[in-house]
Amino acid sequence: MGNLDDASAGFEQSYVHSNGNGSVKSSTPISNGHIPNHTTFVEQRQKSDEQQQQNGEETEEQLLRLKELKFSAPAYTEIRTRSGGLNFKNAEEGSYHPANGHVEKSGKRSDKFKPSQADGILSAEQEHYQKTSFEDVPLHTACLTYLGFYLLMILGYINQLLFVPKVATEKARDGYVTLYDAFESFYSRYVYRRVRDCWNRPICSVPGDELILKDRVTDDYGWSFRFTGTETRCLNLGSYNYLGFASATGRCADESEQRAREKGLAYCSSRCELGNTQLHIDLERLTARYCGVEDAIVFGMGFATNALNLPALLGPKCLVVSDEKNHASIILGLRLSGATTKVFKHNSMKDLERVLRNGVCYGNPKDGGKPYKKILICVEGIFSMEGSIVRLPEIIALKKKYKAYLYLDEAHSVGSMGPNGRGVVDYFKADPKDVDILMGTFTKSFGSAGGYIAGTKKLIDYLRANSHAHCYAGSISPPIVQQIYTSMSIIMGDDGTNTGRNKIQQLARNTRYFRRRLAQIGVITYGHEDSPVVPMLVYLFSKIGAVIRTLTTRHIAVVGAGFPATPIMEGRIRFCLSAAHTKEQLDYALDVIDDVSENLGLKYSRKPRDPNPIEY
Amino acid sequence: MWNLKQTASHLYRQYELITCINMFEPWEKKLINGFFLIMVVLVIFSSYVYLPSYMETLLEVIKPTTGSSQPSEKAYVPMKISSF
Repeated sequence: MGNLDDASAGFEQSYVHSNGNGSVKSSTPISNGHIPNHTTFVEQRQKSDEQQQQNGEETEEQLLRLKELKFSAPAYTEIRTRSGGLNFKNAEEGSYHPANGHVEKSGKRSDKFKPSQADGILSAEQEHYQKTSFEDVPLHTACLTYLGFYLLMILGYINQLLFVPKVATEKARDGYVTLYDAFESFYSRYVYRRVRDCWNRPICSVPGDELILKDRVTDDYGWSFRFTGTETRCLNLGSYNYLGFASATGRCADESEQRAREKGLAYCSSRCELGNTQLHIDLERLTARYCGVEDAIVFGMGFATNALNLPALLGPKCLVVSDEKNHASIILGLRLSGATTKVFKHNSMKDLERVLRNGVCYGNPKDGGKPYKKILICVEGIFSMEGSIVRLPEIIALKKKYKAYLYLDEAHSVGSMGPNGRGVVDYFKADPKDVDILMGTFTKSFGSAGGYIAGTKKLIDYLRANSHAHCYAGSISPPIVQQIYTSMSIIMGDDGTNTGRNKIQQLARNTRYFRRRLAQIGVITYGHEDSPVVPMLVYLFSKIGAVIRTLTTRHIAVVGAGFPATPIMEGRIRFCLSAAHTKEQLDYALDVIDDVSENLGLKYSRKPRDPNPIEY
Repeated sequence: MWNLKQTASHLYRQYELITCINMFEPWEKKLINGFFLIMVVLVIFSSYVYLPSYMETLLEVIKPTTGSSQPSEKAYVPMKISSF
């Protein structure tokens, strides 16, 4: 097995090298493109860099600095002027471990490469608060939201009393307890049904930058639908197609098609039996190299990656500290594992430390106060409903302090974050080896399906032996493996082009532009400045439906999220940006959103708006 | 005139959104609208009928004009109701 280790190390090195080369080649045009958007601070830095270059100090450090400069965001200088509600006397005060470990290292490094996006000019905590915004709901809106919801409920109950619902009922079950009757079915019949046309809309094209909706109408207020036979072409702001790899043409599609012709569509067997091929092994090696760790294991289903691997790692005598906004798959996995689960407030390091400290100090109350076998911190990279980014440097510091393990779910962040598209680890320039278990999915950025777990060789070998998803689930279908393999190697630049790098760049620019324009319009958006998931708060339940319907008539397809997925009060529209979107498409969408939010009264924000036009 | 119409339609749209009326079936819309209409009519009616006499008694309680008169006799009696 030492062989494999060596091989992976070689891969890793070559990846690092190819990154360096690729970035140096591409850095000049892209950074030039950025200069007009930069403020004087960055320009000065650029000038000083150039001067130093003229002096003939062309060291590797110089090249690295250029690489850092390229990804320095024009948005930041403006953001930094905004106080995020924190008033620290000095930068050190906000961070947890100013004097030891990784935080300090990155701080030192940041003096060298100043204008980079995730540097330690501010402490990690201050930086987080300045870039992340969770604006409070206006009081009257909160009251009206509850009023509307009460009305919906009351009318639902009246409706249920007066009419027999047009749903399938059980027959010959006298004396049985009803199997389906619950609050959920009431909710879906009398609340969700009224706006059902806004969800689960069938499409009949590839969900790229645009998609084609199959039109449907309802004659009985959402109980049933009928297709009209027409189609609507819409701008797609709802798919997790972050890097734009979901497309019907291009290299990915061609190679996947080729692979399907060669190898068929499925192996109909699990990895442990007949479903293991060289394709899968290659993909695992590539994934490990991509994540910068020793080994990786891939699964055919992203949800099962969480739900079935967490029970393999945890037992009843373990403690899991889980973020309150974690995805349902993580929650299911934790429940299956039987471990004691403690929830901490979303992205709150104080609460995380409190929970960790209590866990360490008091031990397991179910086991007479004996210490827990292991403590695992469970977080996501980008929280898909909130659009916020995990505070990784601080969590790593805490994890080291309390000797806990860290499980990082990069479902949304892998590919979409960081200068090399390697997720939040890359974005914060953390060491991937500091994160014990790196989990991610291929469903989003890679335009495919499945999930992976990456980490040390020991961990992956353990999972190969113990994971239910590995032993019993069918292996990934060959064309899907090929799609992942091709898109991943494009992102890494293995194909010898700058396509992947440009896509990452394009996504970052789209994100900043879109978020800043939305802030200028005056709607409330949640989350981090750099997260490509942009939730726009509309609060009222009726407004979710109204906005989606209106936007559909204006040829924009978006996704809404209401009560079961979010708190009652926080109905929201979620925009997902993609590298496939052009500025013109975003401009069109933003103009329409401006118009719609004026009409429907969505401009809740009380923050000062930027009077200057936002540059792309 | 056109502007007024636009404002009215905008206001009605806001009302529709706030009360979730835009999601309801026609009979439910009528029910909710009727309910709100009745409420508004009741508020207007009662404030026209009861409010003046209540205000008078309230003033009497806060600021008695004549020391001899006993406010407790007059208080909380809706005076207009007999004359209505």
